Amino acid sequence: MRKTRYKTMVAKGKKASADAVYAKKTIKSANPFDNSTAQSSKRGNPFDVHVNKEKFKILGRICKHDRGMPGVSRAKALQKRAQTLGQQFAVKHKTNRFKDNRIGKHLSGDQLTESVMNARYLAEKMSQVRSNQKAEKFNLNDDELLTHRGQTLEEIEQYRDERSDDEELDDEALDADFTAAAHFGGEGDSAQDRQAAIDEMIVEQKRRKNEIAKEKDEVYDLTEKLDANYKHLLPLVAKATKDEQDPKPPPDAYDKLLKEMIFEPRGSVADKLINPDELVKQEAARLEKLENERLRRMRADGEEDEEASIAKPKHRSADDLDDGYFLAVEDDEGDDTLAYDLDGNLGTHLNGKKELKAEGNENEDNDEEGEEEENEDSDQESDSEVDNLSDLKESDSESEQEEAPKASKKKAKKSENTIPASLDTSIPFTIKMPKTYDDFTELLSKHATAQKATIIERIIKCNHPKLEGVNRDNVVKLYSFLLQYLKDSFEDANEQEIREHFQLLSKLMPHFYELTQLNPERMSNTLLEVIKEKNGEFRKNHKMYASLETLVYFKLVANLYSTSDFRHPVVTPCFIFMQHVLSRSRVRTRQEISMGLFLVTVILEFVSQSKRLVPAVFNFLQGIVHMSIPKRDVEQLEITPPFERDGPLSKLLALPANQECTKLKPQQLQPSDLVTQTITPDFKVRALDTSLLLIKEALQLVEEHVGACYLAKPFLRLLSRLPLESYPEHVHLHHKEATELVEKLAAQKMKLLAPAAKKPKALRLLEPRFEPVYDDKRRPKMSKAKEERAKLLHKIKREKKGAIREIRRDTAFVQELKLKQTLKSDKERHEKVKRIYQEASVQQGELNELARAKKKKKF
Amino acid sequence: MKRLAVSVDGDTRESLAKKQLQSKANSLLNAQNVDIKTLKGFVQLLKDTPHNMPASEVMNTLEVIFKNLLKRKAIEANEKQGLKIQELYEETWLLLMENLLADSESSGALKVCMQLIKVEAKHPIAPKKGWPIHRIRGILETLINADATPTTALTNYGKYCKNLDVLEMTLKLLKSLVPCEDFKDIPIKAMNFLSIVNLLDMGKSVLSTADYHVESAKNQSFNYEENRKRLNELWLTIMAKGNEVDERLHRQILVVLLERVINHLDDPIQLTDFLMDSLHQFDGPIALLALQGIFTLMQKQNITYPDVYEKLYNMFYPRMFYNKYKARLFYLADIFLTSTHLPENLVAAFVKRLARLALQSPTEDAVIMIRFVCNLLLRHTGLQKLIRASHASDEVSDPYNETETDPVKSDAINSSLWEITLLQKHVVPEVANAARFINSSLPVIEFDLAPLLDRKECNIFDDELQSKAKQFALNYERPTNLALPKNEFVTKYWDLI
Repeated sequence: MRKTRYKTMVAKGKKASADAVYAKKTIKSANPFDNSTAQSSKRGNPFDVHVNKEKFKILGRICKHDRGMPGVSRAKALQKRAQTLGQQFAVKHKTNRFKDNRIGKHLSGDQLTESVMNARYLAEKMSQVRSNQKAEKFNLNDDELLTHRGQTLEEIEQYRDERSDDEELDDEALDADFTAAAHFGGEGDSAQDRQAAIDEMIVEQKRRKNEIAKEKDEVYDLTEKLDANYKHLLPLVAKATKDEQDPKPPPDAYDKLLKEMIFEPRGSVADKLINPDELVKQEAARLEKLENERLRRMRADGEEDEEASIAKPKHRSADDLDDGYFLAVEDDEGDDTLAYDLDGNLGTHLNGKKELKAEGNENEDNDEEGEEEENEDSDQESDSEVDNLSDLKESDSESEQEEAPKASKKKAKKSENTIPASLDTSIPFTIKMPKTYDDFTELLSKHATAQKATIIERIIKCNHPKLEGVNRDNVVKLYSFLLQYLKDSFEDANEQEIREHFQLLSKLMPHFYELTQLNPERMSNTLLEVIKEKNGEFRKNHKMYASLETLVYFKLVANLYSTSDFRHPVVTPCFIFMQHVLSRSRVRTRQEISMGLFLVTVILEFVSQSKRLVPAVFNFLQGIVHMSIPKRDVEQLEITPPFERDGPLSKLLALPANQECTKLKPQQLQPSDLVTQTITPDFKVRALDTSLLLIKEALQLVEEHVGACYLAKPFLRLLSRLPLESYPEHVHLHHKEATELVEKLAAQKMKLLAPAAKKPKALRLLEPRFEPVYDDKRRPKMSKAKEERAKLLHKIKREKKGAIREIRRDTAFVQELKLKQTLKSDKERHEKVKRIYQEASVQQGELNELARAKKKKKF
Repeated sequence: MKRLAVSVDGDTRESLAKKQLQSKANSLLNAQNVDIKTLKGFVQLLKDTPHNMPASEVMNTLEVIFKNLLKRKAIEANEKQGLKIQELYEETWLLLMENLLADSESSGALKVCMQLIKVEAKHPIAPKKGWPIHRIRGILETLINADATPTTALTNYGKYCKNLDVLEMTLKLLKSLVPCEDFKDIPIKAMNFLSIVNLLDMGKSVLSTADYHVESAKNQSFNYEENRKRLNELWLTIMAKGNEVDERLHRQILVVLLERVINHLDDPIQLTDFLMDSLHQFDGPIALLALQGIFTLMQKQNITYPDVYEKLYNMFYPRMFYNKYKARLFYLADIFLTSTHLPENLVAAFVKRLARLALQSPTEDAVIMIRFVCNLLLRHTGLQKLIRASHASDEVSDPYNETETDPVKSDAINSSLWEITLLQKHVVPEVANAARFINSSLPVIEFDLAPLLDRKECNIFDDELQSKAKQFALNYERPTNLALPKNEFVTKYWDLI
């Protein structure tokens, strides 16, 4: 751009450039007065300016005295002297003084504003009042009486006749009939004479006047009366506006439309009903916030710092080249960022996991859609049943949780489940909080499983802490009752009951959640106490598995708490406890095997989001596979305790060679496994199958970690030893999947550990430091104090000089004044003398003339 | 003890009986002549041990009675009566010996015995003089001949063995009490015998405290040299008898040797064969104990043993976390690997193995091993290339061969500590934090492993409960049933609902 412009300038031709050069030259060579004139028109005369010529131009020195205006400054000085010295001189030897005591006496012209004038006026008025009206000296009401034409306003008011204003001057003139009759000759047939007619007319006129006067008086009285009444009425009708008092015409179509338009809302209301889209958005934002918080808690304190420090440098120097020298670590972070898929579901999971869950998600989605439709149906149904009170309750609870559509959706799902239960009218709608645990169990024992949940729900509703302060303790009590109830039901459950108990637990789960939300701290402490107690029991004999209710409590923790936290007051102790159980307790029976597997599943739930490593899980799964391998007596396969290396316990789950179980259907683990001791072939297959699946899940969780191969390798050796012939088809499949994953992980390659590359340290840039060096040869070197003193002395000298000059000028000024005065008085005297001489000469002339005239007469 | 078991009702009755007993004893002692019948009644009471009367009470009463009688010299005073009393006294001793083996009463019985010995030493019964050695002998015989190892009685006796006179007596007696048969034939007796030997602590602290059970014994002070000789002889007999014993006994012999004997032996070099055999024939705890013995020999006698590191290396395997001598192993390994002059590839193998094991171990051991690895890296600065590889290379699979028994050949030096990175993801915060040491610069001072060695999983649990941060973060998604809103595993693999 610049270049092109330059070119065009060149192309303009020689003449133009020559002109430019010339112009420049002229400006340079012009005398300094030109400049001054050009700058402002105020400085009129260039000859007023005096230029102090500079011998050397010194860089960086500010020169104040390069030009001055001697005329102007002299005039200023003179004026100043005249105002100060001159004044003093004028009043010299004078005893009287003029004193100005007005407000704002120093102000002049424009400065004298209205307010000053007002203040002056007021002061003046006050002084007048003080001095003149001695009579009112003792008047306590300091107010002045306002007058109008000498009368006080009050007096005027008193004698005012309102009638006089609207008294119309009656037309004294004769009316048209009369004039028509009487004037201009009138009718000829008037029999009476003129005099009589006039009299009659006068009488008539007077009568009429009287009538009118009377009427007026009456009217006046009436109005007076009305006025008096009106004053009474006034407060009543105050609100009625004038146009409302008027009767209104019936509104037509236009008016109606107009009114409608007026009342139509013009802006959006603050808390209106939010439409579903926005609700979804809000919910997504809420979830995102919570998820971020969870992720923050998940990371260890140090980890976070390290990641952050790698991600962005703490300090950027001013001369950072910004060449992106820092290692790009964003790739790693990309894994953890939040993302939503097309359906708007929260997809916080890592890529690998997404693939994993893809199938499941699809199914779930389908399910959910189906359920939604069902929900709608059921909602409609419930609407039609107006008298169904429990449904109303449900909807109430829904509205409470409106902010969470997801939750409400699920709630709806739940309500669908509970409808049959809530239809049961045998349960009262308000249930008091039972006083003791016995009462509580009695209350629950009367009802079926499904109704128990309803009872709990109602107790929570009736004892919500928001309703009453006492309830705060009540809900905690209820929580501990529930925990106790769980313990009682699971403690010695038999084969038939166990499933029922799990169903109850499942129903109670949302209520547990709600209760915990009510007072997290107290509820958590209650639960923690229970777990502590269980741990104490377990410690007494850590070779025995913890009781079933302990495992149930762990499951409860998994559902209620944010288990992905790096450190959590409830979850971390649970982790240690569970690991302790898995790594120490002996595995000998079906119950113990299934309890271990239950613990493994619970732990996997705990770490499903944090993807942390729990060694005991891997050890246990290895142990299960190990137990499924039939071994000859002499050979030993290494395995970690609590599993036996050899002996009968080491092949507890191995299928005997002659037994064929190939026809068994795939089956999940059964609740009855948790309470039975004897090991059946179908259990053997089931346990191995589940362990194979769990191996896959567990390894998938840790798959991204560096060193996952160490976790996978031990499985390799065990899985290859597994004799598959006697197992059914699905076990083959799962074995194949697990083996593939294990092989993949075992072959993992890793980079040698090296500390993250650090930014090379930049050399420190130093500011140049300049020091003033004074080594002037004309002046001797001095110490700092001396130099300072010398400077001061120099200043004093200069000031003294200036002062002397000023004093000299003052004296000159005064002398001039004196001279002027002397000259003036001399002149006056001179004139007086002259006049005297003149008068005297005139007198002499007249005398001479008189004398001459006398002489003439004589002669 | 027993009292706790009985109900409140029984408690009152018991106290009543106790009062009766005391008043009876008082009247017996206050009487001019000893009423043999009453005394006999007391002894009978101890024999029968009726339900409402705890044996300990009876024993205490008898102790008071006989103490007084001994002081009064009543046992010798009246010819006929004295004999009777003496008879009863001996019977009481026999009963006491019986009680010694009962677990609940043993501490009481032993106390009574020792008190009686104290008084008897002061006021000896006529023919015998001075220290009642035969009483101690009785006690020891009872202990040795017990059918099951009397642990409580042994621990209590151990307390008395802190007294130098008791110690000396026991040593003297034990030599004559050695069972005649070989140990392998009488494992229980041998075990009891060894346990008693294990009580004889001639350590510096005991010698310097110089406590005596009986006042008069102070005059003839404890002669260390003499007793050392006795101990040596005792050890020789043990060695002579202790051939081809079973593992438990062998372990016990080794423990006795290491804890009590080895420091006082004249010629420890002679042990070398025994220890070497133990080391090579067994693995697990016995080998470990033998290794410790060898270590002591190496330290004091300057023996050389070429394969010691290989042995030590092979003692680290997953099962070791579950045996009793785990702490000892860590302690030993720490000492063995103290030297900074060891070859780097050897130490690297140890480091890798420890790290590998930490991935399988219980929580408390994982912490120990991580700290240990960190200490080793500090000692051998050359090993820091395990965490700070100098040349950036391609991805490799771990060159370390864990099945190789020779640590030098395991090629650990070319590996890297990926295990520690994985441990940073451990679920227990303590372990994860400990494993974080590789991220920043290493600490300047080594960690002290001693306090960690005694920790149990329970301690970690308790520590975690005591942590101050009480922020109960909740799940933000409401579970509708047993399953979690997402990532459910329990309901996926269990058919519960």
